[in-house]
Order: sequence, then C-alpha cells, then structure tokens
Amino acid sequence: MNNSFERLIDGMVATLRAEIIPKIGSEFARGQAFGVIYMLNSMRLRAAWSTEFYLEQIAAQTALRDALAALVEGLDAPALPQAASGSSSSPVLEALRNANEGRISDLIVWLSEQGPQIDTDKATAIDAALHIYMNRHLKHELVTSAKPMFAEISAGAE
Amino acid sequence: MTTQTARTMINLSDDKVIRARLTEYLLAQTGTTWTLGVFNRYSVGFSWITYGFDAQQQGDTQPQGMILRLGPPYGLFAPYSALPQFAALKALEGTGVPVPKVYWWSDDASLLGAPFFVCERVSGSAPVPWVSGDTSGFEEGWRKEIARQFVSALAAQHRAPWRESPGFEQFAHINEDNAALVQVKFWEEAHGRWALKPYPMLRWAMLWLRRNLPVAPRVSLVHGDYRLGNFLEVDGRITSILDWELVHPGDPHEDLGWAFLPQFTGGSGLVCRLVSQDDFIAQYEREVGFKVNLQSLHFYRVFSLVKLALTHLAAVRCFEDGQFNDLRMPAMGTQVAPVLRQISKLLQ
Repeated sequence: MNNSFERLIDGMVATLRAEIIPKIGSEFARGQAFGVIYMLNSMRLRAAWSTEFYLEQIAAQTALRDALAALVEGLDAPALPQAASGSSSSPVLEALRNANEGRISDLIVWLSEQGPQIDTDKATAIDAALHIYMNRHLKHELVTSAKPMFAEISAGAE
Repeated sequence: MTTQTARTMINLSDDKVIRARLTEYLLAQTGTTWTLGVFNRYSVGFSWITYGFDAQQQGDTQPQGMILRLGPPYGLFAPYSALPQFAALKALEGTGVPVPKVYWWSDDASLLGAPFFVCERVSGSAPVPWVSGDTSGFEEGWRKEIARQFVSALAAQHRAPWRESPGFEQFAHINEDNAALVQVKFWEEAHGRWALKPYPMLRWAMLWLRRNLPVAPRVSLVHGDYRLGNFLEVDGRITSILDWELVHPGDPHEDLGWAFLPQFTGGSGLVCRLVSQDDFIAQYEREVGFKVNLQSLHFYRVFSLVKLALTHLAAVRCFEDGQFNDLRMPAMGTQVAPVLRQISKLLQ
C-alpha cells in the first residue's frame, strides 16, 4: 500500500459523503453508510498499518545488510540498511523502512557508477544480493495485496 | 486579472460558468454569436476534464457536437499545456489517423480557468482492457477488423510528417539519437516530483534505461498512451483515437512498447485483446516503412513499465495530497509492486 492509512480513511469517508450517500434511495441504506463512516473514523483514531508488515520488510533489509557487509568492506560504499531496535510503533518502523529503501537505492546508484572499478566477482555478488532483496520485498508486497478489482471499478458491477 | 487569480476563481466543475465563459470566447474568436447547449461532463480519466455539448453558430441551421477539454492545475500530469495535443491533432488531420477535428486552444488560464482546447465530438464507445471473470472475448470478426484498423492507424500516425506543422517548435531539438534520452529525462523528473518514498527496483530500472538508450529509426509523433480504451468504435469501425495528452515526437517503438504491456491484454495474451504480437509487428512493418528493432522494442517495454509505475505513483501523490478523493487513485497505487515485479522478470 502506498498511501497513508489516515489519508485512505479520509478519502473513503469523503467519497461516501459526496458520491455514494446522496445517490442511495433507501433511508436504511443511507443510515448504514453513515455507520460505515462512523466506524472508519473510529478506526482512524486507533488503527495503523500493521507492524508485522513493516517488520518483514525491515527483516529483508537487515538480511541484505548482512549479505553486503563483508562485500563492501574497504570500499567507499553508501551506508547500509539498519535493523529495527526493540519494539517500535508502526510510524517509526515505516520511517525506518523508507530510510532503508533510500540507502538501498543509493547502493544501486553507487554500484552502477563504481561497478567497473570494483572487483568483478565482488560487483556481481553485490548485484545479486540487491536483486535477492528486491525480489523478496516485491513478493511480500504482492502476497499482502488484495486481488485487484479494476474491472468491477471500471464497470460499476461485479 | 492574473492567470493565478483566474485559476483560483473559476471552478472547473461549474459547467454553467465554463459554458458562459466559452460562449464569450467563441464570440471573440469568430465575431459571431454562439448558442451552447447543456454541458455533459464525461467521467473518464484522471487528468483532463472533458465536457460534451452542442454548439450552434449564428446563421447555421444545425448545431454541431463539440468537446471541451480542460487541463486542471491539480490533474495527474499537471501543469498542462493544450498546445501539444492541438498541434498533433491538427497535424494528423487527413493522414488516415482517425482523429477529431480541432478548432480552438489556449493555455491562458484567465479565459476558462485552465489550459483548454475545443474539438469535434465523435460518436462511438470505448472498449476497455479490463475484464471480470465472466467477460467473454471479443467476437472474432470484429476483433480482427478492429485489430487491423488499430495497427493501421498507428502506422499512419508514425508516418505522418510533423516538423513543418505549427506548434512543434519546442520539440525541434529532438532527433533519432536523443529521442530516448529526452523521454527518460522527462520521466526521471516526474519521479522526483511524485515519489513519496524511495523504490529501489524503480531506481535500478531507471539506471538500466540510461545504460541502454536506443537510436530511433525516425522521429515520429508518439501518442504516449496508445491502447485499448483510448479509441472510439462504431459498428466495427474505429471512429477516433483519443487521449493525446502525452503526445510528443519520439521513437515510434515507444507506442509499441506501451500497447504491448501485459496490463492491456485482459488475460487474452493478445496485444490489447486484439492481435498477436507477431501479427501486430508484421502488419505494422508493412505499413510503416521500417523494420521493428527487437532490442528497441525490449527497451520500450521496460520504459513503458517504468512509466506505468510512475503513473501509479502520480495517482498516489495526487490522492495523498488531498487533490482528489477518487478511490481509483489509491487502487492504482496498489499496482506499483506488480509492475516492478514485471520489470524484474523482464530484465532477468
């Protein structure tokens, strides 16, 4: 998921109010829709993206750090990803995940620019470790995503 | 009144205001009075606002159908200029590409609140690439005929001369050697504006593009979003190619790379649910006048996936910034990872 939890709740509430409720003909159904708004607003106050979601991503980043540590030793490489410290809240983990993604992006740029100056076997191993990480990360994103409904969204029917 | 003031004062969703302003504009442009009918807003797209209406000029016996397209400052690819679309559609008139006639344009936001152009309203419906579980494929005869026209229109577009046409002065520097680089730079800059967080796979793919820039066989008008869903059809005839907001001079392989995206196959394995890749390329080569370079096509497949991922990031950004509450936007955002996974597989 790429949008923030809070903004998604706000967008869903706004869409219900502006686009859906005015077009519902039944008083009971409109009431149910307002019930959905109420529950969404309640969730907004107490819920967040799950820490487990971020912890798996940070675990993958930490595994990449462990794989790269020996390979980049003695090289002028960018900083490696960091592990999570203790029990952290969802926003803290999200910030760490994003900071690590920035470090990994920097490593990719560095390898692209410095690759020819690095020992070939070492450069190949660094590249492979980065790809193992990226594929693990993307697989995790996919298995934690719902089945797309673009046909239904486009047609307005199941 | 400054342009910025006009932007903040004119509500682009207020069709009565837009209608009154356009009536004044047409009087100023033509010197005669126009009567504009009810404005119908089409609910398609995330960028340009589209209104359809009937317009009758003083002295005419019949109204004519017209389309007004406005590029709002909060749209997906804002800030907009109407000039590239107007210039491209004008250049393509009479070339065999089914396009609406264009009449007027302006980037002066003090007129209607945003850059705009007015064109002919063409009849037809737009088949879409997305299918649900019980959707059957297209009828075979219809599919083959539409496929033939779909490929033929693209070949005609890529043959069409554009350098001498008005409105392309800003693209004069584009040549066969730099066409790919110009586009890669354009989308790199967009990435900087849209991404809310870093995406390592996207960074890696963009560096791959930089290392593998192809030379174009010619510089053609590139539609930029040529696919199923962006043309109108009536009784087995394509009546108009739509949505030219990404049009630019570039490598013609770019349109092939985009049309060949798996997102538009609807699970059929066919390009845009219409035609096999081999048949597409065979007909295209016969009509366009050069051989498709498979390395260039590979480059533009990767480029198109990068562009698609970035378009999803634009939707995420627009929604996150509160410019829209349209839930199709965060839904698009969920597709960033699948697209990056496709890039990974394509480059393995």
